[in-house]
Amino acid sequence: MIFVIDDDEIMARCIAKAVGERAHIFTNAIEAMGAIAGGDIPRLIFLDVLLDGPDGFTFLNEMCSYMDTAQIPVVLVSSLDLRQEELSGYGVVGVLLKEEMKPEDIKRYVEQYT
Amino acid sequence: MDLEVDGVLVAAHELKAPLAVMRQLALAFEGAGSEDEHIRSEMLNVSERAIRQVNDLTKIRRLEDGLFEMEPVAVREVCDAVTQELRRLFECQNRELEVNYSNRARLVTANRDLLYSVVYNFLINAMHYAKSGSRAELAVQDSKGKVKVTVRDYGPSLPIDVWREIKKGWVEKPLSVAMRSGSSGLGLFIASKFSRYMNAKVGAVRHRDGTSFYVELLASQQARLF
Repeated sequence: MIFVIDDDEIMARCIAKAVGERAHIFTNAIEAMGAIAGGDIPRLIFLDVLLDGPDGFTFLNEMCSYMDTAQIPVVLVSSLDLRQEELSGYGVVGVLLKEEMKPEDIKRYVEQYT
Repeated sequence: MDLEVDGVLVAAHELKAPLAVMRQLALAFEGAGSEDEHIRSEMLNVSERAIRQVNDLTKIRRLEDGLFEMEPVAVREVCDAVTQELRRLFECQNRELEVNYSNRARLVTANRDLLYSVVYNFLINAMHYAKSGSRAELAVQDSKGKVKVTVRDYGPSLPIDVWREIKKGWVEKPLSVAMRSGSSGLGLFIASKFSRYMNAKVGAVRHRDGTSFYVELLASQQARLF
């Protein structure tokens, strides 16, 4: 199971198309956190940062605070200028810039981390 | 910063997300085998050009924070990268792109990303104005301790009032009304802002059969690497 969390549903679908049939789309962090709390632990998460409601960093903090989710690899998908090295402590294994990323970039992370 | 210009820059930032979605949609249909592949390809090209322009505009807001590092930059390498990106677009539009390097000073003091955008905007402008079947020329030459990057087009000559404005060495805001027909003047505005940040001078030369836009950059005094 791979989570795609993006409040722009069309963007989320585009990412999910590249991920494949294992993709589960969430348009806000609360629903995603709820799914995890219900036992759906993803192998990989593609996470937008500027979400409606709790943002991506709040989600990351929440994930890191639980033992069963702290090690889940997360790929940030954003228009912000973010540095993966500075966020590796939150389980961030990569950063994709929305304006430049290609489906192959997404597939590469899926192959590497699942 | 001018409030009107600042408003444009805020709007540009807001456009990033929908443009990124458009681009992703175009990419999502890649390899679908549709006979409308050229439409998908054009949609991708247009969205990528728009994203570049929006990114350039958002960079203007960040210039005031001084976040763009100045360093020795290999000017030919930058021009090669831009022409490589745009060559296919020129071909699709049935325009030729000629490149001529004669500079001995290979390094300039600049920010690579900003210089890339300056050359890119000049060339897009030249492509826009070149008639089908004609050409644009990119030249890099030495100029009294500086390096001059010039893009010559064969479109309508620049109106004299705009030429006077550019003679100052920079453009304060897009010159939409006075600019040549069909142009917003946005590319020149972006090029001017970035050039000023790099202590470079933007200029224009009027020809009977077109216009040359140029940027004069300080040659880097750092030990030559080439």
